[in-house]
Amino acid sequence: MSHSHKPGESGADLPHAAPTVEEITDFEVLEIAVRELAIEHGLFTAEDHRRFTEWTESIGPAAGSRLVAKAWTDPAFKARVLDDAVKACKEIGIDWAEPTGFGTPSDYMNLRVLEDTPTLHHVIVCTLCSCYPRPLLGMSPEWYRTTNYRRRLVRWPRQVLAEFGLIIPPEVEVRVEDSNQKCRFMVMPMRPEGTDSWTEEQLAEIVTRDCMIGVALPRPGRTADVHPVHKARHPVQE
Amino acid sequence: MPKSKPPEKVRPPADAARFKVGDRVRVKDMPNLFYSRTQMYIRGVVGTIAECTYKDIIPEDEAFNRDGRIEQYYIVRFRQKDLWPEYQFENDTLQTESPERWLEPAD
Amino acid sequence: MSIKSDVDASRIELLEALRNKKEKTWDVLAPQYGVTNPNPPWKTSLAAMCDCLADSGKLPSLDRRNAEDKLAESVYRDVPAPERQLLALVHIMLNRGLVDESDLAARMRAVRSRLESA
Repeated sequence: MSHSHKPGESGADLPHAAPTVEEITDFEVLEIAVRELAIEHGLFTAEDHRRFTEWTESIGPAAGSRLVAKAWTDPAFKARVLDDAVKACKEIGIDWAEPTGFGTPSDYMNLRVLEDTPTLHHVIVCTLCSCYPRPLLGMSPEWYRTTNYRRRLVRWPRQVLAEFGLIIPPEVEVRVEDSNQKCRFMVMPMRPEGTDSWTEEQLAEIVTRDCMIGVALPRPGRTADVHPVHKARHPVQE
Repeated sequence: MPKSKPPEKVRPPADAARFKVGDRVRVKDMPNLFYSRTQMYIRGVVGTIAECTYKDIIPEDEAFNRDGRIEQYYIVRFRQKDLWPEYQFENDTLQTESPERWLEPAD
Repeated sequence: MSIKSDVDASRIELLEALRNKKEKTWDVLAPQYGVTNPNPPWKTSLAAMCDCLADSGKLPSLDRRNAEDKLAESVYRDVPAPERQLLALVHIMLNRGLVDESDLAARMRAVRSRLESA
């Protein structure tokens, strides 16, 4: 599964100020070379690339966490989120039209926030590719893009959730949302017990990326998505 | 300038939606001659319209040019037991989106 | 799904050289330098490049992802994620004639000498 993240670190989605390695790898060279040729061939412009890079660096799961925390504490806002999520996003400073004015080629301006209830648990997937609500959650985690997750979640959702440590009681409906067209989806989990007096900021800390995908539930004290790293010591040879 | 698609309000109108929320629909089983985003696992299965979402260009046209046929899209809800015969949990569901051309009345 | 999504998974000489540099992938290199950034610095730029190519219609996202899936299960199966995504993207671009292999090899030499002289 994914790399584990240290507490307080939002994961692979945010730009890091950490220093880089002191050598120039062929991978770095390849990325620069192919980009320069693409620009020279007119496949896109340097300005387009700069704009998308800036946008990519600006997104992360913190926006989704803020949205959920605000909805938990403000019923009127929650109603607006469920009614028109793209519009409600503007209230927390997220504009789905960025960076082009019409969204990106894989983030269309159709968003549904799926509200969990005591009898209904949502989980999102894109079986076709890896469509993901990037303006709210940033870049998708690596495991979300694996064919393993994409193929198996639709067919064995409870088994896949159990692999994330999430056991859903049989009486609760598990609803898989396959975002194979132009709607993007995000899960609004239920506010856990023991958080009555919490501020929005405190609440946002426990609404991690995995909770908004639907493979984890928020709870006091759980502020990071930590998956055990199963390094393939003996990769399966086919 | 990026050439992302214009918002739907500046595109030509589609015909009125054929289905409404609650309607039972069957996903057609058409050959994949052209680009499609309709997954194999829902082909031929009966589901229920959960939402009429938006009108947009159909994927079959979008892959080749940006001025294509505009159609109503729907979120369709399926019972997992209808998708996978061996599925164990009675109440579990799956939702996915489909443009109108892939759906037909189930009854 | 798409008739346009086919990718030729035959090995490409230029990329084979990189595929075999297992000691230079980010997951190996970063710990050696005590770098905690989970991603190589070029990863954001790579993501932006994918968006640009999709946005201009030169390489639609779904075509790219289908090809990436196919390559990730075959030629680049043993390569870690960010490097695999880069190799797969370039593989597809070469496949489709969006860039030329010898042009790319020459440009890589030029880029390296520029970076090393800086």
